[in-house]
Amino acid sequence: MVQDLLNATTLASIYVLFALGMSLVWGTIGILNFAHGSIFMFSAFVAYLVVQQIPLGMPAVIVIAMASGALIAVAMQYLVFQPIMKKAKNPHAGELQLVIGGIGLSAIPISFAQRSTLSNPFGFSAGAFETQAYTIGGVIITNVMIIILIAGLGLGVGTALWIRNSKKGLALRALGVDPEVSAMMGIDRPKLALATMLYSGALAGLAGALLTYYFNSITSESGDTLLLKAFAIIILGGVGSIFGVILGSFILAFAEFAVLLYTNGSWVTAVSFGLLFLILLIRPQGILGKKEVRRT
Amino acid sequence: MMGWIDQNEFLIGSTLTVFLLAISIQIPLRLGVISFASIGYYAIGGYGTAILMTQYDVSTWTSVVVASVAAAAVAMLLGLIISRLNGLYLAMATVSFSLLLSAVAVNGGSVTGGAVGLFGIIGDITIWHTAGIAVVIIILVSFTERGKLSRRIDATREDSQLASAMGINVTAYRRLSFPVSGLIGGLAGGLAVNLKTAINPESVNFTLVVLALTIIIIGGQASWIGALAGSLFFVWLPEILVFVGEWEEVVYGTLVVFAAVLVPGGVVGVFNDWRHRRSVARERPKVALLEAAAGESDAELTQSRSGKDG
Repeated sequence: MVQDLLNATTLASIYVLFALGMSLVWGTIGILNFAHGSIFMFSAFVAYLVVQQIPLGMPAVIVIAMASGALIAVAMQYLVFQPIMKKAKNPHAGELQLVIGGIGLSAIPISFAQRSTLSNPFGFSAGAFETQAYTIGGVIITNVMIIILIAGLGLGVGTALWIRNSKKGLALRALGVDPEVSAMMGIDRPKLALATMLYSGALAGLAGALLTYYFNSITSESGDTLLLKAFAIIILGGVGSIFGVILGSFILAFAEFAVLLYTNGSWVTAVSFGLLFLILLIRPQGILGKKEVRRT
Repeated sequence: MMGWIDQNEFLIGSTLTVFLLAISIQIPLRLGVISFASIGYYAIGGYGTAILMTQYDVSTWTSVVVASVAAAAVAMLLGLIISRLNGLYLAMATVSFSLLLSAVAVNGGSVTGGAVGLFGIIGDITIWHTAGIAVVIIILVSFTERGKLSRRIDATREDSQLASAMGINVTAYRRLSFPVSGLIGGLAGGLAVNLKTAINPESVNFTLVVLALTIIIIGGQASWIGALAGSLFFVWLPEILVFVGEWEEVVYGTLVVFAAVLVPGGVVGVFNDWRHRRSVARERPKVALLEAAAGESDAELTQSRSGKDG
């Protein structure tokens, strides 16, 4: 039982790392990034390619993954999302273009990885890192799990506090409420958007590397599955609420574990869709979200 | 000609069913509703037809019709349930609806055949029947692209608040788009199952969402011609260019990105822009003449007015 709770908490921490960047980007600069899953996958893939050549340890692998994630995300923002937003006649038309652009973008890295790995799972087994398991009072915990827990919860809470208390955080929140007025108040939207994407990409890279260490391997399609789960998490917690992401991740991870315990495994994928659908019907603004009021 | 049709029957059939699916997504999209539920309708149509035909020995056409109507009914219900949502939230809800259905297909046991799916569905639908249905749908859709109705639809999409201020019942239009989209999506599924003689959860997952969206984006959102152009392009290009077949996802992904950034209206949009620009260029001299004439009469008017004042 304690073991299950611990495993679920670890999974929740991975979800936090993944969904955090997505929620931040959606809630502040208004981009629902459908390519977030492929950023996640491809940064782990880049790290895998490097590890195949040089047997690196965990810190180096994580740095490589985070750097490639950040790089891909910034490139996407600069080459695709920013031009779309600049061109959009109204926010609504822009919304659809952004979704479409993201879907198109996501296909490219996935297909490269699929071809190069022949759709086989890949991992960091060639690297210099060894997973160690410790048993404390009958509960098994590995060093990877400890790192995931610290990274997930630390970055989750840290980001939430930063957004809430810092001046830049205020600027980001202002962007989320009204881009035009915040631009008049002297907020440099394109620059802040680029920085947010960079942070979000680095988080996706971190999540990619850690999940690969945790599961020993991931596949080219892992990002898609996680993307759909992240939608559920973000909506559950409420778009733009960082504490909401943490809450949503825990709800989803524990719900999935409960389903796994009481049914056979194949229903697990349905949990996130079911939760997503349910919360949209009952409380579309999410558990911690505030009701959106739009005046035109 | 007949020989060519016989040879390429499968590709022509795929083009037509993919086209119907694209139309099913396009209808709500034209009203400003981003809905991915068509994949779910397609699944209901496909699985419904397959189950009725293989397990209950219902005749082909009855199965297709019953399954399509069922898809329309589910769509209507879905439309009512999620009418509160809009924009991306609605898109999310429809994505999760479609993927929930594919999870049901995986877990359906002997009824849906689990992960393997159902196969050996051989009915008596020929390529001509499918083509006939497609033509009927095209005719019906083209009625919505002309005159008053078309302008109402455009207004609803471009500015729903303005549209309702003009007396257009935006909610009713959007709500109605669901069963219509459901019926066509269900038909696409039912016909596709007969063409491929099999259906499995793999064929109704997120990939299909991406595919159908690609078609509309590349072809154009505003007209059935766009959906048809996109379907032709999508089904035939990998056949013609081997290189494209090998790098399918990369090519399509890149195309979609380019379309989203540079030409939001798709191929048809580009063509319409060009036509619009040309007609503007043709009309410009006339307009200039009119303006000159109007300028003169304005001047006269001011003169006479100032005369009166004085």
